[in-house]
Amino acid sequence: MGALLTMTASDLRQRVRDRSVIIFALVVPLALMFVFNLVFGDATDSELQPTTVAISAPADDQLASTFGDVLGQIDDFEVTVEEVSASQARSRAEDGEVDVGLIVPEGFTAAVTSGSEVDVTAVEAEDSGLEGQVVLSIVQSLLQQFNDGAVAASAGLELGLSPAELGQVAQEAATEGPALTLSPGELSEEQLSPTASTVAGQAGLFLLFTVGFGVLGLIAEREQGTYARLQSMPMNPRLIVVAKGLVSFVLGVVATSALLTFGALFFDVGFGSVLVVGVLIVAVVTASTSLMFIVAKLASTAEQAGVAQSILAVSLGLAGGAFFPITGTGLLARVLDLNPIAAFTRGLGISANGGGLADIGAPLLIMVGFAVVMLVVSTVLPDRSAQT
Amino acid sequence: MRGIRATLAIAAVELRRFLADRSNIFFVFIFPLILVTVIGASFGDDGPTAKVAIAGGDTELRGDIVEQLTEEQSAQVSFAGADAIREQVARGRTDVGLVIRDEQAEAFADGEDAEVSVLVGAGATSQVAAQSVNAAVAGANARREQIAALSDDGRSEAEISAALDAAQEEVEPATLTVESDDQISEEFAGLAGQFDQGAASQLILFVFIASLTASATLIQARRYGVVGRVLSAPITTTQTIAGQALGRFAIAAFQGLYIIVATTLLFGVEWGSWLLALVVLAFFASVAAGAAMVLGSLVDNEGAAGGLGIGFGLVLGALGGCMYPLEFFGDTLRQVAHVTPHAWAYDAMAEVQRRNATLLDIAPDLAVLAGMALILLVAGAWALRRSMSRAM
Repeated sequence: MGALLTMTASDLRQRVRDRSVIIFALVVPLALMFVFNLVFGDATDSELQPTTVAISAPADDQLASTFGDVLGQIDDFEVTVEEVSASQARSRAEDGEVDVGLIVPEGFTAAVTSGSEVDVTAVEAEDSGLEGQVVLSIVQSLLQQFNDGAVAASAGLELGLSPAELGQVAQEAATEGPALTLSPGELSEEQLSPTASTVAGQAGLFLLFTVGFGVLGLIAEREQGTYARLQSMPMNPRLIVVAKGLVSFVLGVVATSALLTFGALFFDVGFGSVLVVGVLIVAVVTASTSLMFIVAKLASTAEQAGVAQSILAVSLGLAGGAFFPITGTGLLARVLDLNPIAAFTRGLGISANGGGLADIGAPLLIMVGFAVVMLVVSTVLPDRSAQT
Repeated sequence: MRGIRATLAIAAVELRRFLADRSNIFFVFIFPLILVTVIGASFGDDGPTAKVAIAGGDTELRGDIVEQLTEEQSAQVSFAGADAIREQVARGRTDVGLVIRDEQAEAFADGEDAEVSVLVGAGATSQVAAQSVNAAVAGANARREQIAALSDDGRSEAEISAALDAAQEEVEPATLTVESDDQISEEFAGLAGQFDQGAASQLILFVFIASLTASATLIQARRYGVVGRVLSAPITTTQTIAGQALGRFAIAAFQGLYIIVATTLLFGVEWGSWLLALVVLAFFASVAAGAAMVLGSLVDNEGAAGGLGIGFGLVLGALGGCMYPLEFFGDTLRQVAHVTPHAWAYDAMAEVQRRNATLLDIAPDLAVLAGMALILLVAGAWALRRSMSRAM
């Protein structure tokens, strides 16, 4: 035990003095979090912002006034409706004072009910964004409703209804009959906010570099001849490998905890219960460290190991959504899910939305399963660096 | 003349060492193309479409809703089990989930009230998609409502349907014309294929990263005394330093040329005028070469230089619009982005690729890149000269 601790402590001291650990484990990921947050931050805000619509509608036009009424009553986000003239609706949208300018022509109701051609113009401001799309989508579905009513009325005329009845039919076509309704289902959120997912993704990606500084030291020790000398010491030679694993583990846990903490402080995001996050960190660090044992077995030089590690780190990080969310369905999604970095991010998503230890079972199982498989495989693999 | 030959010889050795290093195969040759593929596949379509996943058997109700979603709302529809959908929406893999139970589908088919369970994700795109779903469901029910409104006087459903079909032909639907003063789509107009934008930004990103990480070979050359020994030959310090600088340039230019050729052949990417694209590449590669000279001369540890190279490469690339298009940046951030050479190269490349720019159009961008390259190359040469007298 004493030998194990001595070797681990000595390695850790060396790694801390070597600036590349600090650069890879803390400086680069923090810089990337900062820049990504700056770049993606304002673009991918997850809430719809309050928006303003300027409507020019002819006075005393029944259907035309519906647009303002409906838009003013949206529940999902705040829409302010301004009643203006046609030229103002256009100019205010073009100047960016409102997000959408809506121009409903004179005689709108008469044209719709008689089935003659009529066109509503929407002027979208330069940066009207998703809110503008929602407004346009609502206007479009209102028009569809009016059209359905007009078709019903026209069919009624065909079927011999009196003009007095037609108005009734047009209106009923939007309200009568068997209803088809949408009922909101229960959903437990598992998503991280865009900022939190940048923090988690970068922490996960660079963890795969950080843990390399422990285990991959085995190859460097062989190259420098210190491994043979350690083996000649009066202790179980397996302890040398265990010590390297321990170095990786300590570096990984410290770096990941530090990155998540800094991220939470700088960017004001939360990851939920400290206990749950702690368990996730231990699991992902174990999984990442286990992967390094495979690299240590397969690479015959430190340079090869470094390259293999970078390739694995970047590939798993990218597939785990470190740069942008990777979406897939079916089999592809299942394969992507087996990635420990993806499982880590998913686990953080569950805990950030209030999930407890019982809720992170699936991601935890993936990370632990990954670690077990990697460790078993690494014991079976022949050691290529020992053969050189 | 012999001076130039010596400089070229040093540069050629640097490029050969870069290409001989098998560890570069993945990051120089394979990885950029993977990224172009991934980015092209996820961002290349015509803007975001609503992603809707539906659970439930193949019923009339499902068919009607799918028809409305795909044809009227141009949404992207997929099918899965109810639990899978719940998970997809919770994890943001799909915008909206719809669960259609069998008994509800039967009720719909029988002309009774029916209910569809809807799951809306937390993201803003989910809110937009939810509006499409609302409209699609209303559309799916429209015919039933029309029939109900007309069926008071004991007319048969077939008779009403026929009248509705005829009316549908006759009535001019009220339409919506959207006038979009959308500068962003204007800026992207002119891009021919879905991989074009990704290829241009990855070109800029990887030229810089390859150049910076290859600065490790400069450190090695100093560590092993190669630079010192070269100087013992009848070659001046200036020639040696010029050779090193040219070597860095050759590496950066090689990486860029490879991406241009490979994406043209594999993805049919259009680069506008080839000649001008190469000019932009040459100017940007000079900046990258200068940065690599500075890094390779100031840092004495290959590992640290590799880390700093990747770090600076990614950070500057992200800020310069290589990971998220500059056009989507806010005004202030877009100005800040232009402290990076990447943003200037991005602008120039966009002009060439999308707007058939002439040399004169991109001259301001090239001038800035030339200035940056000059400063970095002079600083790098000075740092390299100083580093020769430093013990490692």
